[in-house]
Amino acid sequence: MTSLAWLTFLPLLGALVVAAAPARASLLRAITLGTTLVVALMGVAVYASFDVTQSGPQFVTEAAWFTLLGGIDVHFKLGVDGLSILMVALTTVLMPLIVLSTKGHIHSRVKEFMIWLLVMETGMLGVFLSLDLVLFYFFWEVSLVPLYFILGIWGGERRLYATVKFFLYTVAGSLVMLIAAIALIYHASLQNAVSTTDIGALTRWSANQPLAVQGWLFAGFALAFAIKVPVLPFHTWLADAHTEAPTSGSVILAGVLLKMGTYGLLRFGLAMFPAASVAASPLFMVLGALGIVYGAFLAMAQTDIKRLVACSSVSHLGYVIVGLFALERTGVTGSVLQMVNHGLSTGLLFLLIGMVYERRHTRNLDDFGGLAASMPVFAFLFVFAVLSSAGLPGLNGFVGEWLILLGSFQAAPWVACISVLGVVFGAVYLLMATRKMLFGPLDRDENRAVSDVTGRELLIAAPIVALCIWIGVGPQSFLGRTEKSLEVVFERLDAARSSLELGRFDTPHTRRETGEVR
Amino acid sequence: MNPGTMSDIFNGPAALAVSPLVTLTVGVLLLLVAEMFPSLARLRSVLFVGSILSAVWCETVILAKQPGLVLDDTFMANATTAAWGGIFLCSTLIAWTFGQRYYRADRTLIGEHDVLMLTTPIGMMVMAGAQDLVVFFIGLELLSIPLYCLAAFRRARNDSVEAGLKYFVLGAFAVAMFLYGAALLYTNTGTLSLVELRQTGVTSALGLAGVALIVGSLFFKVSVFPFHLWVPDVYQGSPTPVTTLMATGTKAAGFAVLLNMAFLLPPEAAGVIALIALLTMAVGNLGALVQEDLKRMLAYSGIAHAGTVLLVIAGTLAGDPERGATQAALYYLAAYAFTAGGAFGLIAWLEADGERFTKLESIKGLARRRPGVAAALALFMLSLGGIPATGGFLGKWLVFSVVVRADMIAVAIVGILLSVVALGYYLRVVVAMYMEPELEGQAPPMTRRPWASIAAGVCVAMVLVLGLLPGMFLDRLR
Repeated sequence: MTSLAWLTFLPLLGALVVAAAPARASLLRAITLGTTLVVALMGVAVYASFDVTQSGPQFVTEAAWFTLLGGIDVHFKLGVDGLSILMVALTTVLMPLIVLSTKGHIHSRVKEFMIWLLVMETGMLGVFLSLDLVLFYFFWEVSLVPLYFILGIWGGERRLYATVKFFLYTVAGSLVMLIAAIALIYHASLQNAVSTTDIGALTRWSANQPLAVQGWLFAGFALAFAIKVPVLPFHTWLADAHTEAPTSGSVILAGVLLKMGTYGLLRFGLAMFPAASVAASPLFMVLGALGIVYGAFLAMAQTDIKRLVACSSVSHLGYVIVGLFALERTGVTGSVLQMVNHGLSTGLLFLLIGMVYERRHTRNLDDFGGLAASMPVFAFLFVFAVLSSAGLPGLNGFVGEWLILLGSFQAAPWVACISVLGVVFGAVYLLMATRKMLFGPLDRDENRAVSDVTGRELLIAAPIVALCIWIGVGPQSFLGRTEKSLEVVFERLDAARSSLELGRFDTPHTRRETGEVR
Repeated sequence: MNPGTMSDIFNGPAALAVSPLVTLTVGVLLLLVAEMFPSLARLRSVLFVGSILSAVWCETVILAKQPGLVLDDTFMANATTAAWGGIFLCSTLIAWTFGQRYYRADRTLIGEHDVLMLTTPIGMMVMAGAQDLVVFFIGLELLSIPLYCLAAFRRARNDSVEAGLKYFVLGAFAVAMFLYGAALLYTNTGTLSLVELRQTGVTSALGLAGVALIVGSLFFKVSVFPFHLWVPDVYQGSPTPVTTLMATGTKAAGFAVLLNMAFLLPPEAAGVIALIALLTMAVGNLGALVQEDLKRMLAYSGIAHAGTVLLVIAGTLAGDPERGATQAALYYLAAYAFTAGGAFGLIAWLEADGERFTKLESIKGLARRRPGVAAALALFMLSLGGIPATGGFLGKWLVFSVVVRADMIAVAIVGILLSVVALGYYLRVVVAMYMEPELEGQAPPMTRRPWASIAAGVCVAMVLVLGLLPGMFLDRLR
């Protein structure tokens, strides 16, 4: 086994150790923290030694798994490329912080929680690292289960409703993707003797298929990812899940899980079905822009600060969608960065809300006021997270949003104009919430009595703050790692676009006609 | 056909082909003898497990040597029948093991129970291997008659007797349907041999009517819409170990035969079969959604799973050049045997402490009191729902591959969405065990039962192996 297999399965090993360990909360937490820290170090090592000049997958681990009928080989194949490297780094870095945060809010059934947290990490890393379609699907669905338990056992009052809704929504999407995946594998093996489920090989096959073939397959895959992101009409599960989840669950959800959807759209949408992506681009850009504005309006109407941030997620992920489906260098690059940004700033917001909830046991904005006086350090962190989320220049959010708006303006000016509204609204609801929470008169005794953040809590926030500044100041060091792999995607998209203009991807009938014209 | 002498027919390969049947028959006879002497009572479990394991060993030899068509072309023994045999034997063993210490008032007749139960896999294996409708019929009766008795085994209880009677009456009806169909087929083609029918084919309307009757009688056995109405009552009224056997072994046997005889159906029937399959899934899943009793819920879920496997038959009719259908059905039903076997078995465990403990509300909070049992049941539920890392997922993948390969995309999508409905009720079980507080005075005592623990452990292991290392089985089934 090489590094990536260890990276993926070390958390699972940790989960086994936790399962066998005596049920002492501090010990279990220490084991989990240790495991995730080692994984984080490995993740950083992979990130650091990632070769920026290569476009293909690196650190590939491959082993035969089993053979499907028709001699189609399924491989256990892991690897990291420019599309996944940032996601892998984000996941590994966030996990230890999440484990640190559990001390504040997970007091019952600690052992089970740690086990699910570690299984979750294996599932998420597996999704990002899989280079085999069957393996990808395997991890994709497996990663649902831990979150289902985390939400359902440690969630808030309406947790059962939220957890079942979350599970059924996502499963419905994934199962349609299953049919699309089977159809893709089968058609590829039938026509071109691609007798493997290797994602690279399948991508090379499908990218050259006519739009009629790509369209249906893309629709099957895209539905699953659109539900996961979530893209506008499918967003209702998110607010419930976010609000009911324990802090650590919300951070996983916002930080990583939703990114599985956008990552999927990038790898299995843009890269795998370029012609279909070009055709679907207007639809997704409009849905993305609507999501930005609608999410912002939803957020403005919330009185529960956690629900507010959850709704802001819908808005922020709208940007990622708009940027991706601008199908254009600047926009897609911005989206890839924005995936990380959203994970960091929204993750930090959820962590901070968790901290204040542990002290005050309320999330209602009207119950706060003047917290800046009693919790100065917390106030600083919160304002920082808000500004990063709202896209203040110099911080991470600005770079991502800027690139996305620039890219989408070139592709579809009207969509960009609508999307820009989101920046304004975003500032409105985030700053309004900040004012209500932190400033104003400190007129309640409970708010006067709260203590400021502890050393542990500062330790959770500090790495995220540092990363936010780093990305804001020097985004190129992050974007550089994605460039080469994205270049391949752009080439495919350009080829697809020009073929579509020539009509080569149309039905056989028209293809013949245009052939005569040429 | 040239009738040869006895020694011509009963040659070496034939002896190998029937060796599992002979082994089990010897086991049955020895059990009967042991039953006569109270001092030998302890030998019973050794004899039962011993005969099953020896038969499994015979099947592995068949898997390796593949004797082929034997006994004057009436019986087939190859890798496929060996795999089916393995499923039948495993389901019987699972059902029997979970049945240990299950019976209380009826313990006096436990010897007969074991004899009857050991007879059923003989019937199933004869059915799966039969290449002649008469041989098949013998197998069918060899399976059904013991099951009628077993269903009514708790004689003191009305619902058990009702289950036995219902199963018997409807079973007799199905048998009559089969015989009528076979008669029609014979009038049309002049043969009952599947080998010969494969060459001549069935073309006339009369012959096809016969085929439809035969298939209908098999639909009854595998509980497919509209022949599923007996399932909830019979499954619930029968002793749970017997229900386990009906749900796993009998269903597998029915599908083994259906796959064997699918060639009798014209390709145009694919659409009808697909529609029946989808209706079966809908009826099963929607029925299960509203159940408050675990045993009844699993009965409906069993109907839904039969519908899923039936999709394979539709796929094979619509075009299946590589014969993936058998592989898919085998894998699906093997996974189902261990999953549903384990789930029903755990319900038998609950039920043995009192009838009321099979209610969904009685397992609330089970995860805190019996984490092992709860984890096993949760795993079975996820496998029934087809979530990865379990055998159920790969079975689902293979079944829907067959459907997609047959270009029935719409059927595949409707089918897969119906299985989302299924997750709705499988999740309810997990929610109850893990996420809801225990109800006062409702909690089942769950007396410790070593036999059941072992069986549950084996089922868990097999569900995971089938989910993670499919190559171990797939490579042998091509």
